[in-house]
Amino acid sequence: MIESAASQSPTRTIIASIAGCTKRYPGVLALDNASFDIAAGEVRALLGKNGAGKSTLIRMLTGADVPDAGTVHIGGEPLTQSGSARAQESFALGVRVVYQELSLVPGMSLAENLFLGRWPGKAGVLNYADMQAQAAEAMARLGLDLPPSRLVAGLSPAERQLLEIARVLLGKPKLVILDEPTSSLAAAEAEKVMTAVKRIASEGIAVIYVSHRMNEIRQIARSATVMRDGRIVDTMDVAGADTRDIVRLMLGSEAGQVAALETRTRKNVVLEVSNLALQPKLSSISFKLQEGEVLGIAGLLGSGRTELLQSIIGVRSFDAGTVMVDGKPARRPNYRQMLDAGFGYTPESRKEEGIVPLLGVDENTVSTDFSSVSRYGVLSARRMANATRKVIQRLHVKTAQTDTPIGTLSGGNQQKIVIGRWVHADSRILLLDEPTRGVDVEAKAQIYAIIRQLAAEGRSIIFVSSEIEELPLVCDRVVVLREGTLKEEFISPDIDQDAVMAACIAGH
Amino acid sequence: MSLEKAATTPPSAQRRRGGFAQHMNEVSLFVAIALLYIVFTATAGGFMTFNNQINILRDAATIGIAAWAATLIIISGEIDVSVGPMVAFISVALAYLLQWGVPTPIAFVLAIAIGAALASIAGILRAYFDVPTFVGTLGLWSALRGTALFVTDALPVSIGRNDIVDMLDRPILGVPPAAIIMLVLFAVFAFVSRKTAFGRSVFAIGGNPHAAFLSGINVARIRVALFAIAGAMAAVSGILLLSRLGSGNATAASGLEFDVIAAVVVGGTALSGGRGSMLGTLLGVLVITLIGNGLVLLGINPFFQQVVRGLIIVVAVLANIQAIKRSAMRNKG
Repeated sequence: MIESAASQSPTRTIIASIAGCTKRYPGVLALDNASFDIAAGEVRALLGKNGAGKSTLIRMLTGADVPDAGTVHIGGEPLTQSGSARAQESFALGVRVVYQELSLVPGMSLAENLFLGRWPGKAGVLNYADMQAQAAEAMARLGLDLPPSRLVAGLSPAERQLLEIARVLLGKPKLVILDEPTSSLAAAEAEKVMTAVKRIASEGIAVIYVSHRMNEIRQIARSATVMRDGRIVDTMDVAGADTRDIVRLMLGSEAGQVAALETRTRKNVVLEVSNLALQPKLSSISFKLQEGEVLGIAGLLGSGRTELLQSIIGVRSFDAGTVMVDGKPARRPNYRQMLDAGFGYTPESRKEEGIVPLLGVDENTVSTDFSSVSRYGVLSARRMANATRKVIQRLHVKTAQTDTPIGTLSGGNQQKIVIGRWVHADSRILLLDEPTRGVDVEAKAQIYAIIRQLAAEGRSIIFVSSEIEELPLVCDRVVVLREGTLKEEFISPDIDQDAVMAACIAGH
Repeated sequence: MSLEKAATTPPSAQRRRGGFAQHMNEVSLFVAIALLYIVFTATAGGFMTFNNQINILRDAATIGIAAWAATLIIISGEIDVSVGPMVAFISVALAYLLQWGVPTPIAFVLAIAIGAALASIAGILRAYFDVPTFVGTLGLWSALRGTALFVTDALPVSIGRNDIVDMLDRPILGVPPAAIIMLVLFAVFAFVSRKTAFGRSVFAIGGNPHAAFLSGINVARIRVALFAIAGAMAAVSGILLLSRLGSGNATAASGLEFDVIAAVVVGGTALSGGRGSMLGTLLGVLVITLIGNGLVLLGINPFFQQVVRGLIIVVAVLANIQAIKRSAMRNKG
């Protein structure tokens, strides 16, 4: 199949190639005898689920890591250095990456950002005229028609992304790698980025485009490389490929390990959302959550999952629609009121929003409800330890002491406490945003079991995940969030991960 | 990795939180205080006398009472630079209240309420309008001093004879009431910071405000409450100032805010929030007070005293940070 992609243009000049590369990190075979090449002017989509080896492949090309076996050539030259010199070598040969985390200084102008740290000038005195002229030219290449003296602060996300790409282009690269450049963009905005990608490819620059949005990929890439478990499983023509086939390649034969979920008769609707809208991400979202149900929300990065949860629970305000709790409308949900109504929320980024690392496991646990561990307003050390021990035992948290600083625990154990604090508060509706992110396999399985157990107690749970394969394991029902609204619905036991994934990435 | 360590290390070795390393900061401050005592006893005549030790306590009270509240504020990740003008303003306001014939106990309560209300402006601006507390309290710093000077023309506002006010400056068994009030308040603050939901919420907010908010802690209300408490504490200092001077004084307590912040920081509380202790601040207050007292007794030029004080404060914090780093490294290895 690799040959078929190559045979499309017999005159193709190879810009970068990886031959037989293997890379092992402690406990993982991240890259397994992978071979890959890309030609000038080619846009190649790189597909694969989390942990499939995409990042490792990119690290091989950028010289961020040295392969255990195999070789990497850029523009015909092999990378020979090791350590940080290797990344410099790759950089000098023209490899550039545009990462998701944008690195712009909002308070400086577009031109200053483009040349950040390498401002043109003499003896430390900047030549603004020259800088602005060069900046205007670089931005025009991408169709970014903005005055170079404008501040970055007022730019839209797509414009920022284009500016990042323009900055990379100033170094006259041969290969540009874009890591999910449209994941945080609305559809119309993403269009601008894709137009820019087509332009740079037409200038003869090779582009590797990491994305899961099939409609985007079909627009800009002729071929796609699919990775799974550190191996390159196929490189195919995008035009002739069926989305379901691509999904099957990405997920492999993992399907079919669906745990049997007991089906219960349910009646009470605890949460009903109707026609919720949040510009520009979400529109006319409607669903019901029943007592004791685990409802999965599937969707790609940037599909608005977090925004949806935060709108429901009142962390951010939404534009239109209603949220009903136990049949009573909460017109403008306020976070503290929702907590009082029995909600609990675990954020997606555990470190930034979930834990207070310096404080103990106990204090991180009881922070949702101090009153039950206090007497006359004074915290009781004994009650606090007992309450914490209860959570630790129920959720299988590994910690030396109840007052060990939570920052020293592993990610999985931290996450269990972040969930467990709502068990301590006895919340009955839990909104869990990516509760298994950055957690090891064993802890993941434990978290699934915990969620099932909490549901069996009659608690209702919304489970948001971008790891499709875990949805059938925990959810009674899965809805797919795509293009800002809920599309397909899958009901256990008919939650087929291939179908869910296809629904997530399907085109218009 | 840390999980493995946590799981396999015996509990006794894990008991570090309450162990020596955890208190490295306090230990090194004790050493610093001991050194200051040794040096000043040897060089400054009259340092070790009973009267001077009482003086030190009285001076410590001025800084300490404000520093207890400032410690909580700094742990929560905020700052209060309005302390000095607040103390002076309250002493003036109280003097007028007493001149107008308001009964003394009611005047005290009013003074404390005024302090709490004024300081909570900075808290409200922070909690609901995202105005940094440095800016909010800087505004108070200027406006309060300005108001007090404007109203009094920088002249003392005398209160005449007042038994209750005088009583506050009369030593009990040789100890000035200010020092007793300081120590009682210290106990209260130490307790609140360690043993109440409010105190632990302050640490949580300073350590990670997002996580604190999402776990249901009322972050906005606590921020306002912290500044109200700081205002009330400044008012207590203002009352004690009035009793000491016998008049309200718009020019008093100049630069107090810097002594307070210095004491908190020397005491090991991180300006970035989330970390700190009341005991540390108590020791920090002692260090700052001792330096001030000793330098006066040594007869050092008052202008040069400021230079020495600045140097000692920076060196103390530097040494403290190094000591903590070293002990953390040892713990790891």
